[in-house]
Amino acid sequence: MNTNLNPLCGKPVVRVEHVGLRFGDFEALQDINIDIFQGQTLALLGHNGAGKSSLIKLILGLVKPTSGKLTIFKEHGQSNINLGYLPEDVSFYDKLTGLEVLRYFAALKGINVTRVMQLIEEFELGYAQHKPLKTYSKGMKQRLGVAQAILSHPDILLLDEPTVGLDPQASQFLYQKIDSLKQQGCAVIVCTHELSIVEKHLDSALLLAQGRRVGCGTLNELRQTSGLKSQIKLADFAGTVQRDSYLASFSQGQKLLVDSAERSAVVEYLVQQKQCSDFSVIEPSLESIYHHCMLQQPDRIEQSKVATTQKGWRQSLQQLLRPTVSQSPL
Amino acid sequence: MNSMQLTSPVWVIASKELRDSLRNRWILFMGGMFMMLSLSVTFAGSAVTGELALPPLANLMSSLSTTAVFIIPLAAILLSYDSFVGEQEAGTLLLLLSYPVSRSQILMGKLLGHCLVMFITTSCAFGLTAGLLLVAGSEYSASQVVEAFAKFILSSNLLALTFILIGYIVSLRATEKAKAVAGLLFVWFLLVLIYDLLLLTVLVSDVGFMDKQLLNILIAFNPTDLYRAINLVTLDHHSTGAALSMIADIDLSATAMYLIMFCWIGILLFISQKSFSAKPL
Repeated sequence: MNTNLNPLCGKPVVRVEHVGLRFGDFEALQDINIDIFQGQTLALLGHNGAGKSSLIKLILGLVKPTSGKLTIFKEHGQSNINLGYLPEDVSFYDKLTGLEVLRYFAALKGINVTRVMQLIEEFELGYAQHKPLKTYSKGMKQRLGVAQAILSHPDILLLDEPTVGLDPQASQFLYQKIDSLKQQGCAVIVCTHELSIVEKHLDSALLLAQGRRVGCGTLNELRQTSGLKSQIKLADFAGTVQRDSYLASFSQGQKLLVDSAERSAVVEYLVQQKQCSDFSVIEPSLESIYHHCMLQQPDRIEQSKVATTQKGWRQSLQQLLRPTVSQSPL
Repeated sequence: MNSMQLTSPVWVIASKELRDSLRNRWILFMGGMFMMLSLSVTFAGSAVTGELALPPLANLMSSLSTTAVFIIPLAAILLSYDSFVGEQEAGTLLLLLSYPVSRSQILMGKLLGHCLVMFITTSCAFGLTAGLLLVAGSEYSASQVVEAFAKFILSSNLLALTFILIGYIVSLRATEKAKAVAGLLFVWFLLVLIYDLLLLTVLVSDVGFMDKQLLNILIAFNPTDLYRAINLVTLDHHSTGAALSMIADIDLSATAMYLIMFCWIGILLFISQKSFSAKPL
């Protein structure tokens, strides 16, 4: 079954159906299903050797799937698929200048110099355009790399570790560019280990382990399927809540752990109590979801999905709080 | 050249290779080396005999080809050893392949660029020598000098082309640049030094099984010996050394040897193409 991610974003541009990839005895990918949509940022996550780069190579058409089907949808009347790609840790040509490198790649795609100059300005490389690449910092090289990847206004942009080794400012700059490309309708696929950064920019994520899909969906979907609990920190909870024995036992500065699915209802309940006006909700981070998924067997994840029932929130709260509430001070 | 050709991926890649070689001063360095070699052999080669005089043209071309047979393959190897393994290590090979460029176009682009580099360096170095000979050596006729050097530059570039292609094959199969350069130096050692030396030993020792037919085959099986033979066969080879004159006694015409050289280039190009197609990414 296909997992349609964030279908509100736009039309699907890539459809991966039961795709497997084998190199000799080694199975790089097994039964991968995913749809990637226009205007969506998909994070490909997984340990080294999980199959992320293999999936990127499949989308780029550099390798053919050994099983299943991978479809890339072209625009009407389009002869070639318009892809942009930035490989991991690419070092380009040290002797050439930034301008020469961009002009070289532009010429290979038949793109004119005006676009090159526009990108040089956009990526703030104008002052260094005539300097050889060996004098560029890591951040400048990555900016040049992303500029190279978007030369042709791609429909699909694949970025392999675009922010590795970059300072926070440079990372932010690149992700701002990625966000603006997404808004223009580009499907962005980012392969990264920097979960805390990508979390703020992704629409969905595909988690891979040993070539298999161990998690897939939007961040909220991943939170729900993982079964990880949201934290509600009660900052000014004073006195007791008459009608609820669970909350009554909490004092100021304590925290509740609730299922992500129940979180809204609990918050609403807390607001209704009026005695607790200052609280904060902390969702499970992408990093905690990642670690959770990596530790789980795929079939266990499926079980946890089944276990999430449509019980009333109060009933869930009772079940959740009794065994799992931590009453440690903040 | 029209704009269509100038924007073809083959030409784009070739001009990038040319620019790379200019930028890292490879053309300057190799051109300088060839020039020093050519000028010293031409104008100071006779010093070992105790006199300073310009040698007969046949002797001069024989001396030039004898020294060039070592240096030209080496230059071609140094130019080509990292063509693919280097790009793979840098991550640019994967990037190039993600572009709308076929593997054949990448291979042909690199080959065209590297051939241009070798042509520029050899033409400048040996052409300058020919020019100086015409100015300084009144005993040579201009047409003889031009013809001899034109043939020498052509055969030198064909030899370079075979070694560039050997460089590509090794570079496509190697996993590291260091392994590629080590492998190619071994090939150079084998083809330029050992094979050549063994062939000369067999020729000089005059063993019973050595007939003209076998000599032809042995020469045709090594591009460096073919290069020697091409350069000696058109000269007055009796003025060259004894062993070399035996190579020049080959039963093949210059045209046939050029054809064999082109066969070598065709076969090596085919192997390069197959190696690139089969290269796992």
